[in-house]
Amino acid sequence: MHWVSNAIVVLLAAGAVWVARYAARDRFWRENAAQLWRRRRLAIVVVAVYVFIALLDSISWIDPASEANALTSGRPRTIIDRIFRPETFKEASYSAPLARVAFYGGQPLAHPGAHLLGTDLLGRDVVYRTLKGARVALLIGGLTSLVVIPIALLFGVSAGYWGRRIDDAVFFAMTVLASVPSLLLLIALIMVLGKGTVQVCVALGVTGWVHFCRIARGETLKLREADFVAAARALGVSDVGIIRRHILPNIAHLIIITFALSFTALVLSETILSYLGIGLEGSWGQMIDQARNELSRTPIIWWNLAGASIALFTLVLAVNVIADAMRDIIDPRTRREER
Amino acid sequence: MRAGCLSRFLVLTALAYCLAVAGCTNDPYPDSDRGEKVLYSAFSQPPKTLDPAVSYGAEEHVITGNVYDTLLEYHYLERPYRLIPGLAEAVPAAQPLPEGRQAYRFKLRPQVLFHTDPCFTLSQSGRQTREVTAPDFAFAMMRVADPALNSPAISSFAQILGFADFGKRLVELRRADAAFAALTPRAQYARAGGIAGIVAHGDHELEIILAEPNAQILYWFAMPFTTPVAWEAVAYYNGRDGRPHFGDHAVGTGPYRLALYEKQHRFTLERNAAWYGSLPPNVEAPGAVFPKEIDAQDSAAGRIDASYAGRQMPFVDRIKFYREREDIPLFNKFLQGYYDTGGIIKESFDAVVQSGRLSPEMQARGMRLDKEVEPTIFYVGFNMGDQVVGTAAGERSRKLRQAMSVAVDAKQYLELFFNGRGVLAQSPLPPGIFGYDASYKNPFRLHDVARARQLLAEAGYKNGIDPATETRLKLTFDTYATTASSSLPLEFLAAAWRQIGLDIEINSTTYNQFQDKVRRGAYQIFVWGWGADFPDPENFFFLLECRNARSKSGGPNTADFCHAEFDRLYHEMKYRPNDAQRADLIRRMVAILEQERPWIELFHREHYTLSHAWLVNSKPMGISHAAYKYKDVRPELRANLRAEWNAPVRWPLYLVLILVVAATVPAVRTYYRERL
Amino acid sequence: MAAYLLRRVGYGFLTVLGVLFLLFVLFFAVTNPDDIARKAVGERARPEVYAQWKINHGYDKPLFLNRDFAGSDARRYTDTLLAEHYRRMLTFDFGRSDADDSSIAKRLWDGAGPSLTLTVPLFALGLVAGIALALFVAFFRETYIDRAVLVLCMLTMSVASLLYIIAGQYLIGMLLKWFPISGFDPNPAIAARFLALPVLVGVISGLGADVRFLRTVFIEEMSRDYVRTARAKGCGDARVMVRHVLRNALIPILTNVVVQIPFLFTGALLLESFFGIPGLGALTVEAIQGNDFSTLRTMVYLGALLFIIGQILTDISYALADPRVRLS
Repeated sequence: MHWVSNAIVVLLAAGAVWVARYAARDRFWRENAAQLWRRRRLAIVVVAVYVFIALLDSISWIDPASEANALTSGRPRTIIDRIFRPETFKEASYSAPLARVAFYGGQPLAHPGAHLLGTDLLGRDVVYRTLKGARVALLIGGLTSLVVIPIALLFGVSAGYWGRRIDDAVFFAMTVLASVPSLLLLIALIMVLGKGTVQVCVALGVTGWVHFCRIARGETLKLREADFVAAARALGVSDVGIIRRHILPNIAHLIIITFALSFTALVLSETILSYLGIGLEGSWGQMIDQARNELSRTPIIWWNLAGASIALFTLVLAVNVIADAMRDIIDPRTRREER
Repeated sequence: MRAGCLSRFLVLTALAYCLAVAGCTNDPYPDSDRGEKVLYSAFSQPPKTLDPAVSYGAEEHVITGNVYDTLLEYHYLERPYRLIPGLAEAVPAAQPLPEGRQAYRFKLRPQVLFHTDPCFTLSQSGRQTREVTAPDFAFAMMRVADPALNSPAISSFAQILGFADFGKRLVELRRADAAFAALTPRAQYARAGGIAGIVAHGDHELEIILAEPNAQILYWFAMPFTTPVAWEAVAYYNGRDGRPHFGDHAVGTGPYRLALYEKQHRFTLERNAAWYGSLPPNVEAPGAVFPKEIDAQDSAAGRIDASYAGRQMPFVDRIKFYREREDIPLFNKFLQGYYDTGGIIKESFDAVVQSGRLSPEMQARGMRLDKEVEPTIFYVGFNMGDQVVGTAAGERSRKLRQAMSVAVDAKQYLELFFNGRGVLAQSPLPPGIFGYDASYKNPFRLHDVARARQLLAEAGYKNGIDPATETRLKLTFDTYATTASSSLPLEFLAAAWRQIGLDIEINSTTYNQFQDKVRRGAYQIFVWGWGADFPDPENFFFLLECRNARSKSGGPNTADFCHAEFDRLYHEMKYRPNDAQRADLIRRMVAILEQERPWIELFHREHYTLSHAWLVNSKPMGISHAAYKYKDVRPELRANLRAEWNAPVRWPLYLVLILVVAATVPAVRTYYRERL
Repeated sequence: MAAYLLRRVGYGFLTVLGVLFLLFVLFFAVTNPDDIARKAVGERARPEVYAQWKINHGYDKPLFLNRDFAGSDARRYTDTLLAEHYRRMLTFDFGRSDADDSSIAKRLWDGAGPSLTLTVPLFALGLVAGIALALFVAFFRETYIDRAVLVLCMLTMSVASLLYIIAGQYLIGMLLKWFPISGFDPNPAIAARFLALPVLVGVISGLGADVRFLRTVFIEEMSRDYVRTARAKGCGDARVMVRHVLRNALIPILTNVVVQIPFLFTGALLLESFFGIPGLGALTVEAIQGNDFSTLRTMVYLGALLFIIGQILTDISYALADPRVRLS
């Protein structure tokens, strides 16, 4: 199934190019993007690095079977796998960062001084596991939002624009879902769907769309009464046309900001899921969960926790900072110019 | 708000802060506990029921073993375990009867009283207790035989004459007659005529008649299934009128009684002043007096204080149990001195134990380390009913199983996940069980990757490639590990098999779903563990008996192992006394298992118990938890050591205060300057 | 006003019905009465025992449709698990726990106390600390204090709550030994020391987001005309902050705050679980892990009920606090 992942990378790249060209043509986006870059260069670079690492971990292919690669053939290996070669670049068990001997017992390591952040219980290199966690984190934030945004937009805009029955139905559904404690709903959904990347993302999406939807609905309600919408209607533009040309572009900025904020919330909530045992395979949340035990050892084993939490913290902080700056730039209340 | 008001507010806050700093402590117990003879312990799973006919797990036995007395007990110090008389005056010898039957006669001690309890107002006027009599034992065993209670021990007493028939009669009578079904259990049992093989001769003699010889049945008389049960307690505690169920309210005869029972959070055992061992005429009973002969090894190791020989028990007044859901906080509180004994978690293992002995740090704290190999076996099992790994594929799958068995390095597994706390298993029997042969080395439990590859090739899967599909042979490893840390050991095993070329897929589900898969037969490889109920080889080999196979009866033989010769030897060995012929039968059974490999035996767990210096007379007794009456504590020593180990570190708090003040003073000063 | 209230309550009731249906469907998609019976009774029982247990606990009926009855017979729909589910929840007949047969109402009563002793101080302290810090920062806005606190808020918001708990337990419980690592004792003399750590961890993990939000609210208030007037009048700056800004900023704050009040009862799941506090949150976690449907259903139902009550309360308090809303 690795070709799915490869295909998604290609699609994402194509999508990114298309979005960039669309935005470049529009003066509003071009100027705001430039302003954002000027103000938050470091944060953007940091996020870009994470995305790059995640992409590297998404492209994989299978080597044909032969005597030489008996251990590794038959399974798809990503670029990160090929750089780090986890089948051979491992130890027996724990070792401290840049150590030359094992943490317990003092046996010389197979790769002394080569593990920048040491190794974990099964001897796997911590830097390798941290890098692999980047893909998982971006999946949680990105894939889930990809599930959430279209659904939320569909329901929210419909409810806000057409009102009455549709609004009542959507509002009712939103209230019912919002009333159930989200953690419990999440656990129940994952128990139904099973444990797996896509399933967890879908479950997170189902429990998270209400927030987006509410915002979309609120904004659509406001925009519906705007002058330019009335003018378009008078001109005979169809409902769908109005939504596509006037409403959607005007809520796009809100969607982007909310996306950024919910991205961080999702990634942080995955740590809680890992604690409960329903997190994603190979995520930072799992590493932190294991670290709970490791902190109690004497002497303490901190490198597993350090790797995962610093990676997590940096990503979340960078996205928060960017989201903050974005809000300052494109929030209509603080903007000088009108669109 | 004026300047004066603001500064007053700030000063008050700072003062309150300092006071809080001065008063903080991490002692979780009320001050009234200090200096008392209390023992503190923890539990992680709440007990389900205290009904002696039904309760089975260790978390329940901690209570039932100390609140209920039994006819026989295990000698506290002797290993291998030996039965001594408890409520009985002596351990009975088997008396042969005609037609191949056997009888055991128990003579009951006189004047053993039940705990004082309001339930006895049902039969006594003015008194809240009464003497224990032989019919109370009969009543208890009839409850075990009663199918409605679903006792897990019901099949263990099958040899008792009329045991199963009694159960059937009860079910029929209840179904046929509604009036019968409405009677109290006691009346129902009486009408149904009781159990033919359990006869109470008067008040102080109990005879058990077996339809066929069974030397192991005496062990069951050391378990709470056979403790005397007062019919008044069962009748009174029925859950009505605000009274708890009998499963939540224990009325026994033991040295301790259950004083506080919030089963989700905590419970307390308190000393029973009217225990038979504290009052004449039973003051010299073996179960009431600390063993007179003390092994030199035990006293040299410091775990038994020789001055206690022959003294009257119990010693501790109260035992308090607190719920600890996670083992790390439990262990940390143990290190801080707030629990008196504890196991060792693997995270702290290397700080506590070094090269098999207590580390100097722990020794300096006065702690003791006790090791005991538990009568347990952990193994990887194959579904012998499966098409690929099971008996259907004949010699091919046998070689496959042998190859996978040789590929697993149990020694490293033990080191990585259990800190080496265990004995590598060569066969299902652990040390200390009759039939265990220390010199036997299972050739298929010797880790050898090259040999594993060769065996795999002999099975027809060279390099793991299945010639039928031209890809690696795919096998599923069915597990129910939910957390990342519990799936690591399984990853290790899967990696071992992947190394010889197999494609192992770990199929992890919830425990319920796993049981479902097993029921349907949709599993190939699994991991399991078993702990013995009593120290006899029958209690291990029954897990491979064909009659107990999952596919046949839904029994505990999850490997679905059915081997005619093995079964024949098993039935012959089952009820034999421990003689040379029995050892020979066992040897032949082990040889069959060696070749057939339904299990890959991993290890027998060794339990390490850490005890503090102030806990006296604590010897690990894995087979039974009825041992609190032997233990004692030294409260002053405990209080002193606790204070020493738990002095709070106060300076960071003052530092924080100073930093906060320093950071905000410039701003506040600017504000005041601006105003003026 | 009364009509509005009635409408809101009616809508709330409909929501409750919807929640109950969702809960039922979700749970029975995950598990079935056989599993629940097996978990409660144990593995080694005979089939008759499971059947009896199911009858005793009311799980022997079909889920949605009872085909034993004809189409016209009402019992086709009412003699089902779904109908039973609705009947019991709407009459607050919670029954017994599936896991150990204890009375759920009693467990709720027992657990409410510890939960409240944790969540009420947590809520109050968090609110007070957040408002005080936000007022302070808004007052000194654009100075180095403001910027430093903002950065701190950003940093603290980016740390996972799990890490706060782990670090808190390790640092404060183990290294500094200020408070017990976990546990609880209802004895009022020593209850405080068990609560100090979870309250501290809870407040700190939530402070970052709160302060940022409150600061924005206060600064927006401070830019209003009446504040300038008050200052021109000669009111002390601090007085202006507290008497005028805070009071008027209460309206948006209220929306956030009143909604949280009902959840004080359901307890903080993570905190209770880690710190061993035997409250309703811990009860919920146990119910999840133990497949205890009747307890879980009760907890979720109560949670939803309290949430809806919270919404209604918010609307009322909004109407009371903001005269403009009342008039419209």
